Amino acid sequence: MNKKNLIDGLKLTFADIRVNKDEDELMKIYAKKEQVKTILRYLKDNGYDHLALVSCVDWINEGEFGLIYILTSYADNNEAYKETGDVYLKTRISRRKPETESVIENFENAEPYEREIHELFGVDFIGHPRLIPLFLDRNYEVPPFRKNFDTRKYVKDFFESIPAVSEEKT
Amino acid sequence: MDREQVIKALKDSGKWGHKYSLWAVYFCTGCGIIEIPPSITSRWDAERFGIIPVASPRQANLFLITGYVSMKTLKAIIRTYEQMGEPKYTVAFGSCPINGGMYWDSYNTIKKLDKYIPIDGLIAGCMPRPEAVFIAVTHLWKMIDKGTADAYKKYKNQYKYYRRNQEMALGKLKWPPLYPIDKNE
Repeated sequence: MNKKNLIDGLKLTFADIRVNKDEDELMKIYAKKEQVKTILRYLKDNGYDHLALVSCVDWINEGEFGLIYILTSYADNNEAYKETGDVYLKTRISRRKPETESVIENFENAEPYEREIHELFGVDFIGHPRLIPLFLDRNYEVPPFRKNFDTRKYVKDFFESIPAVSEEKT
Repeated sequence: MDREQVIKALKDSGKWGHKYSLWAVYFCTGCGIIEIPPSITSRWDAERFGIIPVASPRQANLFLITGYVSMKTLKAIIRTYEQMGEPKYTVAFGSCPINGGMYWDSYNTIKKLDKYIPIDGLIAGCMPRPEAVFIAVTHLWKMIDKGTADAYKKYKNQYKYYRRNQEMALGKLKWPPLYPIDKNE
């Protein structure tokens, strides 16, 4: 199976997905959020056996979050991977109601990535077994990686309100 | 050591002992710790200055805070500092514990470490070279000689304010106060 077969198979199986045409670029698949799980399943069955990263981007002007799943392959006989390199699966979810389905069923190592995105962007992953804080120790009103989180205001309100211990007082 | 120093050492042998046996607690915060392995090994050989890293804070009396301090690390720093035996000396290493450095507008990194624990000396730079550590140590020697390296006494005297700041940052602390807090004031 080469790259052309892979793309043809994807387009045949999934109705309204888009694959970038530029041959020089990395292979990117644009899909709806409902399709993500089945596309990942399809790619896994075709030799892309490792989920390298799940990432999130806040497109605040468009009112959307972009989720990116990066897939690579460890299989030696994967002909398509030699042509495509890493495969990027991109999707958009609404910023007003940020939730999507968890992909832990397909790739177990998605768990910490989804927890991190939940913590820093406030995206809910349905079906995730434990969406509890991963890095942060405090609660923030707005998840801190969202574009509308004002870091300078936060620093001014929180850190600068703590007084210095002066030299004179004994 | 010349003859004058022999008399000085005999006169105040405690200070002499503290000066030349600064044992550093091997506590890694942030990126600055990358400068410590070359400092303590053969290239710069910190043992010339009496500095050796030790595993436990109970054996140490020098605390090098190397690099930025996140909220979780601050909790660990306070606990480690309180476990060290007196006399204890703190040196903040790099620009991040001084005023935030490049993390001046970060949401999760504390900006001024001396609001939470007392600090004897500050080494500026991003990163400071190992030579800067030794300059700081020789300054610390002078301070110990003069008796001005007394941040741990300040911590004792003004513990109320330090504890207040720590609780403002971290919320209610789970361990009891190290020194009694006078509530009448």
